[in-house]
Amino acid sequence: MTKFLKGNYTLDVTIDETGDGEAMQTVEEFERKALSRLGGSICFVSKKGFLWKGEDGARTSDRQPS
Amino acid sequence: MELGRQIASRLKEATFERVVAAGLSNAEINGPRIQRSVLELSRLRLGAGDSAIVVGAGPSLHRRRSLERLRASGYAGTVVAVDGALGACLRAGVVPHVVVSVDPHRERIVRWFGDPALSAAPADDYFRRQEMDPAHAADELSANRALLRLVDAHGASIRVAVATSAAPEVVARCAAAGMELFWWNPMYDDYDRSESVSLRLHRANGLPCLNGGGNVGTAAWVIAHAVLEKRRVALLGIDFSYPPGTPYERTQYYPELRALFGDRFAEAYVSLEHPVLKERWFCDPAYWWFRDVFLEMAREAECRTVNCTEGGILFGDPIELAPLEDFLADVRAGAGVTPSERT
Repeated sequence: MTKFLKGNYTLDVTIDETGDGEAMQTVEEFERKALSRLGGSICFVSKKGFLWKGEDGARTSDRQPS
Repeated sequence: MELGRQIASRLKEATFERVVAAGLSNAEINGPRIQRSVLELSRLRLGAGDSAIVVGAGPSLHRRRSLERLRASGYAGTVVAVDGALGACLRAGVVPHVVVSVDPHRERIVRWFGDPALSAAPADDYFRRQEMDPAHAADELSANRALLRLVDAHGASIRVAVATSAAPEVVARCAAAGMELFWWNPMYDDYDRSESVSLRLHRANGLPCLNGGGNVGTAAWVIAHAVLEKRRVALLGIDFSYPPGTPYERTQYYPELRALFGDRFAEAYVSLEHPVLKERWFCDPAYWWFRDVFLEMAREAECRTVNCTEGGILFGDPIELAPLEDFLADVRAGAGVTPSERT
């Protein structure tokens, strides 16, 4: 803001300026929280099969994910 | 793209945001109760043959009298029910082999098993508002008392495929009713990533992670074919939507949509014409996402999926539509159901 406007006066209060990036983050955060209220009761993970039994590679799925 | 579909396209991440904290918290509390893995279910003799019927709690379940027809048929295969359909199953004389529960909500879900602590109609209108189980909508306290008795009477012959995310109140209720518990982890994220929640959870409790597809109905279908290894799976009461004429106020996400969009809330619903019934059903963004995910998952599954719901919005390749009696006849004949739209 200060790079566009110059005043010939002084203010008694301190202005807490929020940068554009920070504002965008706040909007995204709000959207994320709002949307989370519309989500399901369990996650879905794309292309990871139906059942993963563990790190030994014994994931079971009817078909391997493409 | 219309608003509802736009929202639906973002619900994968939103669901993670919604459930991960509560799910992990419940998993920690449930830890001491975990004894058996869901994989043990595949070694039990649960119903005859290679078929299963998955029972959801959608409005078609009672509109089509699906459970009464199933009971009358003498079907000998496996019945897997979602927690929300347990009461309807037992009232119709259908005792499911397996009941699936996953939702981490601490107050609501125990009601599907009969809540021993319920002494007055709660302020939360979740059950009164919706058509999932009309018995609850009519008189919550009487319905709860009757359900307590039914679940207590049949608990010993029902197995629960319970997610570690499930509410401890649900776990305690199932155990008190004599149900055997078989555990699994919800797949929260890509277990191949080093910071994966799923990976961390699996390392902590050793349980398999199951890809749930957004909702308990899809999770029940996954259990039917990927755990129980059934190759012909019929769906009942899996509408993922509301029948034409349902007031918005009686839909699952109405309060949230109203709060988010104000007077424009109706724009968030998506509608679709059923190809056989020629009725226009409508759904929340969440249900549209469930539909998309189910179709994607069904294309990867080696089972045949026959939707005998006779309503709703779950249709499209590779899902077959058929009346329940056609599926049952083909099971008896040992044949597959011919792909059709015979609802």
